[in-house]
Amino acid sequence: MEPAEILSHTGGGAISLAWLMIVLPLAGAAILLIGGRATNKWGHLLGVLMSVGAFVVAALVFLQLIGLDPAQRRQSVNLYEFIPGVANIGLLIDPLSISFCLLITFVGSLIHIYSIGYMSHDPDRRRFFAYLNLFVAAMLLLVLADNYVALFIGWEGVGLASYLLIGFWQYKPSAAVAAKKAFVVNRVGDFGLLIAMFIIFAQFGTLQYAEVFPAASQASQGVLTAIGLLLLLGACGKSAQLPLQSWLLDAMEGPTPVSALIHAATMVTAGVYLVVRSGAAFFPEGSTAGLVVTIVGVATLLAGAIIGTAKDDIKKGLAGSTMSQIGYMMLAAGIGPAGYAFAIAHLITHGFFKADLFLGAGSVMHAMNDEVDMRRYGGLRKLLPITFVTFFIGYLAIIGFPLLSGYFTKDGIIESVMHHNAILGWLAVLGAGITGFYMTRMVVMTFFGPKRWDEKAHPHESPAVMTWPLIILSIFSVGLGAYLILSNRLLVFLGPAVGQPAELPGFHPFSVPGLTTLALVAVGAGIAIAKYGRSEVPVVQPRGSFLTVFARRDLYGDALNEALFMRPGQWLTRLAVFFDNRGIDGVVNGLAAGVGGSSGRLRKIQTGYVRSYALSIFVGAAVLAGAWFVVGTL
Amino acid sequence: MITAPTIEYFALAPLLIIFGAAIIGVLVEAFAPRYLRRAVHVPLTLLSLVGAFALVILQTVRGVPTTPAAMGSVAVDGPTLFIWGTILVLSFVSVLLINDEEQFVPSAAAVPGSAEEEKAITEGAAHTEVYPLALFAIGGMLLFPASNDLLIMFVALEVMSLPLYLLCGLARRRRLLSQEASVKYFLLGAFSSAFFLYGTALLYGFAGTVDLLGIRERLAVGGGGTETLLLVGTAMLGVGLLFKIGAAPFQAWKPDVYQGAPTPITALMASGTLVAAFGAVLRVFWVALGNDSWNWEPIMWGVAALTMVAGSILAITQTDIKRMLAYSSIAHAGFLLVGVMAVGERGQNALALSGLLFYLVTYGITTVGAFAIVTLVRDPGGEAWHLSRWAGLGKRSPKLAGLFAFFLLAFAGIPLTSGFFGKYAVFRSAVALGEAWLTGLVVLAVVASAAAAFFYVRVIVLMFFSDPSADGPTVVTPSWATSTVVGFSAFATVALGVFPQPVLDLAEKAAKSLFVQ
Amino acid sequence: MGETITFWVLAVVSVSAALGLVFSRKAVYCALMLGVVMLSLAVLYAVQDAPFLAAVQIIVYTGAVMMLFLFVLMLVGVDSSDSLVETIRGQRFWAVVAGLAFAALVALGVGNVVFAPAAGLGAVNAAGNVPSLAELIFTRYVFAFEVTSALLITAALGAMVLAHRERLEQKATQRELSRERFVKYGEEGLDPSPLPGPGTYARANAIDMPALLPDGKISKLSVNRYIARYEAEEGTIDPKVAEILEGEDK
Repeated sequence: MEPAEILSHTGGGAISLAWLMIVLPLAGAAILLIGGRATNKWGHLLGVLMSVGAFVVAALVFLQLIGLDPAQRRQSVNLYEFIPGVANIGLLIDPLSISFCLLITFVGSLIHIYSIGYMSHDPDRRRFFAYLNLFVAAMLLLVLADNYVALFIGWEGVGLASYLLIGFWQYKPSAAVAAKKAFVVNRVGDFGLLIAMFIIFAQFGTLQYAEVFPAASQASQGVLTAIGLLLLLGACGKSAQLPLQSWLLDAMEGPTPVSALIHAATMVTAGVYLVVRSGAAFFPEGSTAGLVVTIVGVATLLAGAIIGTAKDDIKKGLAGSTMSQIGYMMLAAGIGPAGYAFAIAHLITHGFFKADLFLGAGSVMHAMNDEVDMRRYGGLRKLLPITFVTFFIGYLAIIGFPLLSGYFTKDGIIESVMHHNAILGWLAVLGAGITGFYMTRMVVMTFFGPKRWDEKAHPHESPAVMTWPLIILSIFSVGLGAYLILSNRLLVFLGPAVGQPAELPGFHPFSVPGLTTLALVAVGAGIAIAKYGRSEVPVVQPRGSFLTVFARRDLYGDALNEALFMRPGQWLTRLAVFFDNRGIDGVVNGLAAGVGGSSGRLRKIQTGYVRSYALSIFVGAAVLAGAWFVVGTL
Repeated sequence: MITAPTIEYFALAPLLIIFGAAIIGVLVEAFAPRYLRRAVHVPLTLLSLVGAFALVILQTVRGVPTTPAAMGSVAVDGPTLFIWGTILVLSFVSVLLINDEEQFVPSAAAVPGSAEEEKAITEGAAHTEVYPLALFAIGGMLLFPASNDLLIMFVALEVMSLPLYLLCGLARRRRLLSQEASVKYFLLGAFSSAFFLYGTALLYGFAGTVDLLGIRERLAVGGGGTETLLLVGTAMLGVGLLFKIGAAPFQAWKPDVYQGAPTPITALMASGTLVAAFGAVLRVFWVALGNDSWNWEPIMWGVAALTMVAGSILAITQTDIKRMLAYSSIAHAGFLLVGVMAVGERGQNALALSGLLFYLVTYGITTVGAFAIVTLVRDPGGEAWHLSRWAGLGKRSPKLAGLFAFFLLAFAGIPLTSGFFGKYAVFRSAVALGEAWLTGLVVLAVVASAAAAFFYVRVIVLMFFSDPSADGPTVVTPSWATSTVVGFSAFATVALGVFPQPVLDLAEKAAKSLFVQ
Repeated sequence: MGETITFWVLAVVSVSAALGLVFSRKAVYCALMLGVVMLSLAVLYAVQDAPFLAAVQIIVYTGAVMMLFLFVLMLVGVDSSDSLVETIRGQRFWAVVAGLAFAALVALGVGNVVFAPAAGLGAVNAAGNVPSLAELIFTRYVFAFEVTSALLITAALGAMVLAHRERLEQKATQRELSRERFVKYGEEGLDPSPLPGPGTYARANAIDMPALLPDGKISKLSVNRYIARYEAEEGTIDPKVAEILEGEDK
């Protein structure tokens, strides 16, 4: 089934008020930033209120949407003309965007609430909430936009919010550097997106989805592939996919709620959104661009998993896992309509259980004086019972323990990829096994075994304002997957937005890949228990084998970047400077010098004497009159 | 027996309110005790501006008149009402800046630096005459673009300029510079007025009337053996008008005057006067000389090109922040002139006009905001005018520097600021004409914008990426009025950059009816 | 015919007066030349059947504006003259070039005109010159006429702003002033009587003109030191005044 036509919304109801979703958190951010210290007292409450408000609006829009006939479920609400003749500011309300909205606002609200407790001792809590609100607004604009321009504004907005939040503790040099790195790497991706937009505009004369998508099939194959690959470059930057993955691990310098919301649950999935949104037009089934997407996805899911196995920093371990899980989503998104629903389903459940895991990690850190090294944890399950239980549920969900969320969605992805390309499918299965290993390692090192922490640490359970969000997230981590996947609920729901395969896939719990996956996860978990549960975990990181170091160093991603881009870049610069001093000088430097020089020369006319000004006017008048004569009598 | 003239009081009410309030202001000067004057002037001035604005709105709502008012002297039409609204808003915020007594000399008659001046400062003397003077200037600004014949346009030009000449010389700091600016502005203004007047006389010789519509009709008829008068006359009239907008080669006064004048007055001139003068340029060239566009367009082309290039290039070597903004204003005048040439059939004219009106609004508001910030950064001897003093301001006072950077980006026309849409609207209308010569000028304008962006960004780099000097300038705590101005300008610059539609619609609606013809 | 003769005569007179105005170094001569130009114009108006304009020209310009100029000149000193040395390179050259070009263009413009036959003054002045003018001023141009008042008010206000000094302290009474003079006389030996005026033998009474004592010498008390120093710099100083100045400087 092809995606439904995008209708322009005419009726009233919640859909016509969908802009409130963006405006509420934006207003919150504006009030908190402009109000300054005056809002310190209640700033965090306002932030929460605005986020919850956005969720309420999203829920109302959702209710109105499911009341409509499936063919009517793609409605664009035009707000106003933005750049006359190029783009409008408009919202596209369809099953895909509303799914994202619900995820963003619901998880976002929980994380807002959690942050009240987590940031309670921070003097800049108000600013933190302002940035969080700003992020929510930008993210909602990104997913709700009905054209690429507005999407790009949201895209840059989340980038800005991410930059501000990674560097929130800017007095830490590592945080400032990480923020800068995220900023620069993301610009590479944005550049791709921007070029893609230029090509789209040049090709189709518009950037509105409603006009671009139906027209796409008329463009030549080469153009479509070019657009697809450039869009993918943008997606890779935002979603930390290979080769633009390096910023995500460093981004963990930000406060943990930020890692949970932006760098796990929502923003990093924007790339998946972009691919799925543009899927029917630029990544159709069997296209070159789609193939590249799947390759990038598989490579990243393996790379992320391997990185996860060696990290001792709990947050970096989770970040590796995020990369890996997004790799799964990309993989599914690349195979076309058969995979979209699973990609989105995994995206949603991942949003819940990964947020659960991150917040759990945050709760542990909160208890341990912000210690992040798992080698200094151990035996925390009795001291932090709620955190332990919720974290454990998240853990079961992510490794795909039967009947929990991750089981259904990841299995769905593997299943559909198997039909598409067996090699990719088996690689995905392998990734699941590694996931079993590193997640078990994390749980074991943190919660089991003897305590390895300092005498100074006094682990304590977090306050209720932090544990309740954990509990709610873990509940969803249990049941959401089954709800979305069984009887193809999400697939049918998303059908009007992204299209659905002619034949609805069934759920096969006892297929070969499914059973193999379970077996491999069990093996992975077993190895982890044997290695870290049964024997002593050294407090200081051992040197490790070649492979361990390889993983620890993020698979030498930074070294690779340095060798491939930075050094040649520097070398090129030096070369350019060399040539600049010789030949090109005349063109480039000469131009700048010429402008500056003529400015200096022209400036001499400005003597400051009024009679010379009068003369300049007089000469001007004579020239003007002469010119008029010449033109007039010709 | 003379029949009494008919005066459309309702249509002229905004003008009459402003002039009336100015005269009441003079009476206040004459009769109110000194300690009361300011307390009366400020509300009087602001309320008259608000009242006039309300009347403009009311007229817009009740329907725009289609015939000139006051015996054909004043054309209150759609574009006029839009320009009036713009000028009144800009004047309102400028008057809020003028409200800052610190900016004005306590006693203009005292010799600069004399003991008498010291005494006047300690006694707290003040020239509250600035309020009625400003109102007279604003009244002139309103009348200038609404004038329907060259005679009243000349009177309006003088009514607008004379108070400004005076106000320019009243700066408290750097008084000699201020007085010099005032005299320069006066002499050059008088010089250019002479050209305007001579042009009017020659056009009268051509058409036998000074009425804009009369000249238009005469042009439509053509022939008659007096065309050469038209040529010289238009050139002279053009000199007078182009001088007011600061187009090259008549731009020399702008940096000196902007630099010397008290900053609030600079803000008023850079915003209100520019809007008014552009309104007048449009009226003369589109209404009176609309049938002669193939004659003036090539010359306007040269003037526009020269203006934007000169403004952008000269700005690069400026070291005084106010002079830099003055050159930026010259460059913007060049960009605006591009739109003046984008005339064609009716729809095209409406497109160009709406673009110009929108540009004027956005540029005016941003300018006032930028100058308001200039008033806040101070050295012991007054404003920190030298650019090097602004180094590292971003570290000292990030909010202020951030706002200033934002205004500069708006000047440069970066997307998501109002400046982008201003430029976009004007350039689009020029490209829409589909003439190669004009499209070429748009290309030149874009290149000039890029050059201009260089010196804006340079200031931003200076503020944020260089270290503050130990004895750097202090940022004074803004008064409520100044913070209102800065806040309003920043808000409008953002809002018009993100959500330009309402004002664009308004401009389109105003432009649709075009000028009364 | 009479009109033509008047025009050509006055053309020569007024243009040469205008040139004299520009090239004369003495301010008083300039002012008088200006008076000649204005009067010539008034006569031209009169012969062109515009009596009202002619009268206004004489009353306002020759009567009021000229007098103002002369008053200012008297205050500054009739002998003062401006330096005409041009310091800006190329200023004169380009001014001449632009002037000639401009003149040529205007001549070209006006000279090529073929005027339609004029309506005739008789027709225009049918209802009388002044009533017709009044009709125009008070009907078609009434708004311009009224707005001009704003200009006049601005001018008056501007004069007040620039020239008026607010009294910041109580005005000293005659008694206080007298007492102060005598206190100074007692303490510093300053002469309590007023400074001498230009005196019987002075040829002019401008402020730069020192008073002469009965023996023909200059009264030291009457020399305005500021002006004397300025004149010394300009080289226009009276040698006798210069002697006094030198004596003081030593």
